[in-house]
Amino acid sequence: MAARDLLRVRDLSTRFFTGEGQINAVESVDFDVREGEVFGIVGESGSGKSVTAFSLLDLVESPGQITSGELWYRDEDLAAEFREQRPEAVDGEFVDLRRTSERVRRSLRGPSFSMVFQDPMSSFNPTLTVGEQIAEAVEVQRRASTNPRSTRSRTQGYGLGRMLAGMVLPDSGYVDEDSEAQAVKLLEEVGIPDPAERYDAYPHQFSGGMLQRAMVAQALAGEPDLLVADEPTTALDVTIQAQILNLLDDLQAETGMSIVLITHNLGVIARMCDRVGVMYAGEIVERGTLEEVFEQSVHPYTEGLLGSIPDLDDPAPRLQPIEGSVPNLLDAEMEDRCYFADRCPKAMEKCLDKPPEIECEGEHAAKCVLAETEYHDSRRLPEDYFEEVADD
Amino acid sequence: MSLGRFLIKRTVHGVFVVWGVVTVVFGLRFLTPGSPVNAVAPLDASQELRQRIARDLGLNKPLYEQYFDYLFSLLQGDMGYSYLRGIEASTLVLGRVPATVELAVAASFIAVVLSIPLGVIAANRRHEPADYGATLFSLVGISTPNFWLGIMLILVLSVQFGLFPTSGRPLGLYPALALLVTEGAPGGLLRWLHHIFLPAVTLGTYFTALITRLTRSGMLDELGKSYVRAARAKGLPEALVRYRHALRNTLVPIVTVVGLQLGTLIGGAVITEAVFSWPGLGSFLIRSINVRDWPLIQGSLVVIGVSFVLVNIVVDALYAYLDPQVVTE
Amino acid sequence: MISPRTLRNLRSELRRSALAKLGVTLVVGIFLMAVFAPVLAPHDPTDQNLNDSQLPPLGFSTTENRTTSEFVDGEVTIVEEEVTVNATAEHPLGTDSLGRDVLSRTIYGARTSLLVGVIGALLAVLVGVTYGLVAGYYSGRVDDGLMRAADVMLAFPSLVLAIALIGLWGRAAIRIPDPFVAAGITPGMPPDIVLPGTVVLVVALVNWGWFARVARGEALSLRSQEYVTAARSMGAGDAFIIRTHVFPNSVTPILVLATIQVAAIILLESALSFLGFSGATLSWGFDIAQGRQYLSSSWWIATMPGIAIVLAVVGINLVGDWLRDALDPGIEQGEGGV
Repeated sequence: MAARDLLRVRDLSTRFFTGEGQINAVESVDFDVREGEVFGIVGESGSGKSVTAFSLLDLVESPGQITSGELWYRDEDLAAEFREQRPEAVDGEFVDLRRTSERVRRSLRGPSFSMVFQDPMSSFNPTLTVGEQIAEAVEVQRRASTNPRSTRSRTQGYGLGRMLAGMVLPDSGYVDEDSEAQAVKLLEEVGIPDPAERYDAYPHQFSGGMLQRAMVAQALAGEPDLLVADEPTTALDVTIQAQILNLLDDLQAETGMSIVLITHNLGVIARMCDRVGVMYAGEIVERGTLEEVFEQSVHPYTEGLLGSIPDLDDPAPRLQPIEGSVPNLLDAEMEDRCYFADRCPKAMEKCLDKPPEIECEGEHAAKCVLAETEYHDSRRLPEDYFEEVADD
Repeated sequence: MSLGRFLIKRTVHGVFVVWGVVTVVFGLRFLTPGSPVNAVAPLDASQELRQRIARDLGLNKPLYEQYFDYLFSLLQGDMGYSYLRGIEASTLVLGRVPATVELAVAASFIAVVLSIPLGVIAANRRHEPADYGATLFSLVGISTPNFWLGIMLILVLSVQFGLFPTSGRPLGLYPALALLVTEGAPGGLLRWLHHIFLPAVTLGTYFTALITRLTRSGMLDELGKSYVRAARAKGLPEALVRYRHALRNTLVPIVTVVGLQLGTLIGGAVITEAVFSWPGLGSFLIRSINVRDWPLIQGSLVVIGVSFVLVNIVVDALYAYLDPQVVTE
Repeated sequence: MISPRTLRNLRSELRRSALAKLGVTLVVGIFLMAVFAPVLAPHDPTDQNLNDSQLPPLGFSTTENRTTSEFVDGEVTIVEEEVTVNATAEHPLGTDSLGRDVLSRTIYGARTSLLVGVIGALLAVLVGVTYGLVAGYYSGRVDDGLMRAADVMLAFPSLVLAIALIGLWGRAAIRIPDPFVAAGITPGMPPDIVLPGTVVLVVALVNWGWFARVARGEALSLRSQEYVTAARSMGAGDAFIIRTHVFPNSVTPILVLATIQVAAIILLESALSFLGFSGATLSWGFDIAQGRQYLSSSWWIATMPGIAIVLAVVGINLVGDWLRDALDPGIEQGEGGV
């Protein structure tokens, strides 16, 4: 149980500066990811889950910007490197990536962090073969390790002339043969039949499920410590969803990496995760272990989410949808109060103030005034609850 | 479908279009008021000559026979006889081809070399002065009639500063290169460059502007796509993300649009030749129309149409090569 | 066809984009200039006055040394004198080689360009859209045959074809009485608007293929829509379905294309006039050809009409961009989503 933290996210905020105004997509988010665990982030669409994922890898694109926060990542070597130079960015074995340079953050993509995206079809370049794109991911790391100086260089020694030739001639030498062989091996590892042959196929010649496997292979190319999976199964058929989840499970067991799993699907969370954060309107409103959040939920929003899943064992009660929809996160329209108050069945006057995050028991915490009062009541409730279940 | 089959299909289509072009050109003769003999014969032709022309044209034969005769003689490279100039039409017409090809290639070269970097810079520095400059240039560039641009260039660079000749092509590229190779004298080549510079800039400006615009918007489009984010996520250096991934995919729509605009290039060449007295097919066509030398008109039109179709097939091949999805669809 | 939502999009895009505002301003300006040419023009554009030929535009008064030889008392004396040619407010943009007012000619030139551009584009829309809708709606073999024919048409560079056709058909000009002169508001101005008929016909003929392509694409995608199938199942005739369902839904792309084509046709018309293939003598392209011969002495004769063409075409292209951005929201998006 004493798994160490791999990543500590503190007060992370990401905003988009659009023509219509400032959008607070991620607002002051805190969470930890431990070694070898699956941390789930669950929420409705538009709650800021994906932007959180992009923020972790520094992939937020203009007009978006990470406006504040710290990303403490545990890496002894990096910490040693920065201890002298920038002592304020180092805390024990942890380094605050936000205080490092963009090149450092880029060099960590692959060997430290990697990502599986929602829609495999649009996340592969349509004009390059799948194999070449995976080999490219291997090659980046190979070049980085053979020549650490060029790790953070702009082109990794892949010069302008080659780049121009590469525009017209596809396979012009960025990828080396070993990397190709490694890519075929990766394809095999993720269960793609005839990997050597499929190497030369283009994305549009793959099925959705196979392409998602290929994307997992690409994400594994740098042997990452942390895999961020953003809705990895949403675009797939139900039967294939299960296959991909099993694949992620197996790979995690094999490599011991951590996974941040982002989904709107509570079933996926329940099946995969050790700990969970529930996101609403850019904030993590409740977090804790899977059991704490699912069985002793405090925040009315989490309760609402759980109440909107059909229960096969007890189909009688009508599903309880949450009334209304997620606010649009436009800064001008966000007042300083609980964002869920409009839709909350238990809203009270206090909710017009911003609720602090209140620690419950263990790791369980919620941003809701009810956490103080109701938590201790709900402590009693489960006993009755479990008795009732036992009676059935 | 394999790439080979795709190209065969496009070529068959091209042959069909060439046949259509030839048919239209043949038909033009009948859209013209008066007897076809009037179109071919010099104004002062004797009755005897007129009869000979009528016989040569096969006017006494049924229409379909005239048509097939025309097709077959074209296949053998025979474009008819210019009675006005007293020479085979094909000799004159084909003699004009190199000058036009030189001009078109030089203009395309200028366009490609300038526009793609310009568009990329504009996209990389969105909302910065470089971007506004490139946008303004491309807007004005696609809106400027090239004959006027040519005249303005002459006005400033030739009349005011005397930097470039205003017209003519003293020698072709081929003899210029031959001079360079056999005698090691670069003078001919320099002279050629000196003369072709203004016409090529005039003809190339529209395409530079158009491709700059397409490159900029295409790059912005591609950079917003998820595969670019995915490429960054695997740790690829930004330069590789932009050039190996995004720019290459930007070329696909560019090739498509440029293919569609080839007609503009050829039309532009005609008028540029007229402005700079460049002795190519375009100025030749205009002069032939003005004197109504029918076999020369027909011959030039056929050559222009056929070369247009040929270039289109090349563009299709490039397109299929750049975008593998085209071939499988 | 034009829903309130469309109008809202148009308005918000216009408010957002400075270029769209510039485009609309230019187009409205040129349009008013064309309509009210007789009122706005300070002189009759065809009025020749050799005493006042080649006057420079305001701010460009020239001084040059002229050498003349005089024959006085059986002796030739060479006189060098400084000649000053003063610009006058009478002719703000100067005069051409025949002493005609360049400003007035430029204002009147807008008429020819816009008339040819708009009428030519409308003709091309009429022919091309009908053709394309029929091809796309019936699809299959009808489509194949019709579109191959259109491809042949497009296979030919439009300027080359236009030159050939006009060269062979001649330069017919249609004279339309100018309403301002006819109503006696501006007596002394040219009584007719000269519309180069062959040019209008030819520009429509070489450009209809683009509209056929777009209309066909729209019809192809629309014909399989459920409401079209539903209409057909209720026994509606083909012509009725094309008119009431297919056409209204393809208006947007055709409108955008037509706008851009007006600009292309204006450029084509100016090129034809420049080459002398148009019947109109009050046209920007024609004036550029005239001024070309006086480049070394009177640069403004060729320059002014050219600037007018650039402004008109820039304006129309900007309006085209505005329509495209406002009516087709898929174009500039794809980034920065939350």
